[in-house]
Amino acid sequence: MPEPRLLADFVVERSGFRLQVSLHMGTEILVLFGPSGSGKTTTLNALAGLVAPVRGHIVLDGETFFARGEDGRTLWVPPRQRRIGYVFQDYALFPHLTAADNIGFALRGPEKAPRVRELLERMHLSHLADRYPHQLSGGQQQRVAIARALAMRPRLLLLDEPFAALDVAIRQHLQHDLLSLHHELNLPIIYVTHRLEDAFAVGQRLAVMHEGRLEQVGPITEVFHHPANAHVAAIIGIPNLFQARVIQAQADGLWLDWAGLTLLAPPQALPHGVEVTAYIRPEDVKILYPDRPIVEAVRDNQVPARIVELRAQPGGHLVRARLPNGHEVEIRYGPHTYTTLPLQIGGDVRLVLRREALVVLGT
Amino acid sequence: MNWQALRLSLQVTAVATLLMLVVGLPLALLLARRRFRGITLVETLLNLPLVLPPTVVGYYLLVVLGRRGPLVQWFGWQLLFTWGAAAIASAVVGLPLLVVSARAAIAEVNPNLERAAATLGLSDWAILWRVTLPLAYRGILAGLLLAATRALGEFGATLMVAGNIPGRTQTLPLAIYDAVQNRAYDEANRMVLVMTALAFLSLWTVRRFEASRSRRDRDESPYA
Repeated sequence: MPEPRLLADFVVERSGFRLQVSLHMGTEILVLFGPSGSGKTTTLNALAGLVAPVRGHIVLDGETFFARGEDGRTLWVPPRQRRIGYVFQDYALFPHLTAADNIGFALRGPEKAPRVRELLERMHLSHLADRYPHQLSGGQQQRVAIARALAMRPRLLLLDEPFAALDVAIRQHLQHDLLSLHHELNLPIIYVTHRLEDAFAVGQRLAVMHEGRLEQVGPITEVFHHPANAHVAAIIGIPNLFQARVIQAQADGLWLDWAGLTLLAPPQALPHGVEVTAYIRPEDVKILYPDRPIVEAVRDNQVPARIVELRAQPGGHLVRARLPNGHEVEIRYGPHTYTTLPLQIGGDVRLVLRREALVVLGT
Repeated sequence: MNWQALRLSLQVTAVATLLMLVVGLPLALLLARRRFRGITLVETLLNLPLVLPPTVVGYYLLVVLGRRGPLVQWFGWQLLFTWGAAAIASAVVGLPLLVVSARAAIAEVNPNLERAAATLGLSDWAILWRVTLPLAYRGILAGLLLAATRALGEFGATLMVAGNIPGRTQTLPLAIYDAVQNRAYDEANRMVLVMTALAFLSLWTVRRFEASRSRRDRDESPYA
């Protein structure tokens, strides 16, 4: 691990919820991953000083922001003196100020104007400097929020679900931007997400949270392939996860070979022949009606399969089916779907692994 | 037209408005942003003047402003039967209108904006001046205008603590009462018209403030 810059070991208690975090990080991107309600945002708030831990310590670059031991003596640095950049999930842009004024909000003096100009340029926002937040798209607001957090040259950058509300193309673009920012600024970044794709796209190390505890911290692939316990496995464990090989990357899609089965995924620049981890959510595996015309959305990735398991579940049904390549996929659908199809164990069906929903996580 | 009464009314209202702002704004901030024990008690006490008979409010004020009240005992301020007492009576009656409106406007400001400002290095004062108040000012101004208009029309409590001394404590509403008692209907008509016009103008403006506020909120919605 790189030399530690942030050392945090603290306990937060608030109305029935207990958060215990112990982590250290260097100049890297750490992904805080876990289901909603697991304490990810509270962890960021505690680091930024917006929530007070009951005990423990938080030290950044040798400076103690918080320390409280058994004797109850407390050291507390307020948020405004911590120089920690925080990008909120809702961006929290000041609606009464333009993009430029938002970015320059914390700055003053002769340094202000050139710094704002520099950040506008760096984040490709120069042409939007005089717009108000409500006149900006989600992706643009996001970039303003990041620029504003960077304006005061933070020592640590916190991002709370930064790309949750954005569509895929913009998200990938911003993720790429974030990686180059990280590279340029040599800045430790903590990135909160509940989406595994995001974690793989930007993260170097993964910290898995579950019910207020950090269950495992480590390099992403390691956590992924060797979950420390059942909680971690359940949190990151996704049905229909498989290893595939890239056959061809084209503008209209990425061709994969999954043990003899050829599948098409959304376009992504990956070298030919590389092994990747991919998955598809059980909701995105569709069963085709043999007597109906096939619509555009389910044209690709048709596979014959045989049903091996059929189960009613709360909120719908679960089907397991074996593919020609010997692997099984899980299919989930609502209570009123496929009611006219004679589904039974041992029966043959045609499945579609929806192209748009096929997620390639990288190597 | 009783110009003297009008001038006095405006003077009383101006001072009452200032008093309401000084007391009401911190109160609205407290009620909007803090959870504390007894918050319901504070709110209920604050709103009592809205529903109590003016004579009851006036009676309490007589006790507070009277010779054995704290203002005389501690500061030696003899305010009874001066226009200062009229200003205080008007402020007490108008205050709930300001606090209710200002509190709602402040509560509408996304607390994440204040937290963001804190992480950007601003002190609590700077956050108040540069984030909270600029975003809530429409609602605060609307409440202030409403409260000022209520103060301008104050009659009952004012009569009890300031009396009805022409040229010294006789405000416009009191002058109208006198005019009607003396059957000076022309005089009364003119003053009634002035009061009505002022009140109408004020409510009209308040409405405009609120309309522009809701329009702006729509624009701001990130999911619009």
